[in-house]
Amino acid sequence: MTLEVDSVSLVLGDGDQQVTALDKVSLVVGAGTLCAVMGPSGAGKSSLLAVCGGLLPPTSGRIKIEGKDMTALKEDERARLRRERVGFIFQQSNLVAALTAMDQLLLMSHINGRKPDRSARERAGQLLEEVGLKHRAGHRPHQMSGGERQRVGIARALMNDPSVLLVDEPTSMLDHGRGREVVGLLAKQTEEYGVATLMVTHDQAMLPWADQVAEIEDGFLGSPHRPDIDGGPPDDS
Amino acid sequence: MFLALRDLTFAKGRFLLMAAVIVMVALMMVLLTGLSSGLVDRNISGIRALPTTHLAFEYDDKPTWSNSMVERAMWEGWADQPGVMASTQLGNTMFNARTSKGEPVTLALWGMEPGSFIDPGADIGQPIGDDPYGVVVSRMLVAENNVEVGDTIVLDRVLTELKVVGLLDAHNNIAHTPIVYAPFRLWAEASYGPPGGPPEGESLPDILYDFATVVALQLGETTEIAAIDEQLFTVALDKPMSFVASTGYKAERDSVRINQGFLLVIATLIIGAFFSIWTIQRTQEIGLIKALGASTGYLVRDALAQVSLLLAVAVTCGVGIGYALGDLIVDGTDIPYVIDIDAMLISGALVFGGGLVGAFLAVRRIARIDPIIALGQLR
Repeated sequence: MTLEVDSVSLVLGDGDQQVTALDKVSLVVGAGTLCAVMGPSGAGKSSLLAVCGGLLPPTSGRIKIEGKDMTALKEDERARLRRERVGFIFQQSNLVAALTAMDQLLLMSHINGRKPDRSARERAGQLLEEVGLKHRAGHRPHQMSGGERQRVGIARALMNDPSVLLVDEPTSMLDHGRGREVVGLLAKQTEEYGVATLMVTHDQAMLPWADQVAEIEDGFLGSPHRPDIDGGPPDDS
Repeated sequence: MFLALRDLTFAKGRFLLMAAVIVMVALMMVLLTGLSSGLVDRNISGIRALPTTHLAFEYDDKPTWSNSMVERAMWEGWADQPGVMASTQLGNTMFNARTSKGEPVTLALWGMEPGSFIDPGADIGQPIGDDPYGVVVSRMLVAENNVEVGDTIVLDRVLTELKVVGLLDAHNNIAHTPIVYAPFRLWAEASYGPPGGPPEGESLPDILYDFATVVALQLGETTEIAAIDEQLFTVALDKPMSFVASTGYKAERDSVRINQGFLLVIATLIIGAFFSIWTIQRTQEIGLIKALGASTGYLVRDALAQVSLLLAVAVTCGVGIGYALGDLIVDGTDIPYVIDIDAMLISGALVFGGGLVGAFLAVRRIARIDPIIALGQLR
């Protein structure tokens, strides 16, 4: 299994201000699986992503990526694991303002300490083509629409060939049509690249693309199950 | 440099403004150094122009040009020492005087043996020596008081009449006062003799000619200076130290350094402030890049590379413009200005170093930015 969350708790704040953001959460996401975690604001969705990506150390429990225990690592080792094995997809605004779509992808090679060689450029070009943005390769974020920016974010997350994709509210800033487009693309890439994708969302309409769904509320995560819909993803995905 | 270069081109307005400020700071540093050094140089240019390695003053803890008095035994004693290539006496006395055009002037009368190794000759007219009252004047008197060959200058109190026989192109000054080069005997008479010179038909006693201000020396590297000083009751100073013996030189040089110090602090603060604000503006973006897996070291190196590039280009421009302006000042005006390549490079290096320190203090903030801010709801 690619992403294993084993009885993870996260307590934030001190003293009277303490909040249990995650309470003994366990979850397994396999390769090629898109797992959606649903819940209202403040339920613990972003906390779950933060601990899975090593941005916050859990108070207790273990996170394993490809069998490697992330909770045992130091901060710089977690950063390394993140850049080598984890792809993050954030909300709409999270592209670097100064970089073109192509450069957003090549940045990942730089972060990894590699000057982008020809194969990195080819891969970046191919990923942009797959998300339908080859013609936008030279455009900066302010020259693109919200949906296009989110698609660049997906391509960027796949650039370093990750085994885990962590996706934060990918549709929150998009209209319904563009939201469906983006999640459809995410589902396709999850399958094609065999990554374990954990997507947090409060948007019920995106569930048809998920292989499994789990609800979270007040830090408690329910058991993952097949999405409760008829007929699977819409045809236009 | 990947992010650094793209930020520079993306936010080129902001960076151009910052570069312009750095250019101005570097330019100010170079011009101020040139101008101040020019002023300071007008204090000691006459000493600097002497073809000496050392000057021997009368023994004193703090020898000065105004207080020193050496005797014949001292300059003749120095001349006899092994390793001394040349030695001659030099007299220095300040006088108020009046030119033949009626203008009051202050001058430094320097007495020397005509034809000795410190005799500067003359760029226009004749050198000292042929006429016992003939003197050579340096440029400031020519430029500011229109003194010409053939003019006379009368010294106040002693009423000695100096005949201008030659002019120098150089601004040879001591304590900001133009030097008038005179034969040693004329200097001694004006400095120690009775007003109006000796009564007609009489001569002054020989002892009058046995005193001067310093001994001008050309010494070899092996000369045992301390031993000779002790034997002759002198204190021989190398050239830079003999500048310090000129009134006001040390204070002026220190004020130049204070100015440079302030400029350096200003440069450091401005650049530090700019990059602090720049880093704060980029907080969200830096958090994002950290969340993508970038190390703090990667981001700090990238930011410092950006600063270094900006500083290198801006400082080079500032120093270059400063050099060109200095050249115009020296060639086209009489403003005291010194083009000193070493000082300019040091000024540039200081602004670069100061800027880098300021930026380094600013970008340390990068280490404190938490990648968690990339996740919307936990922001």
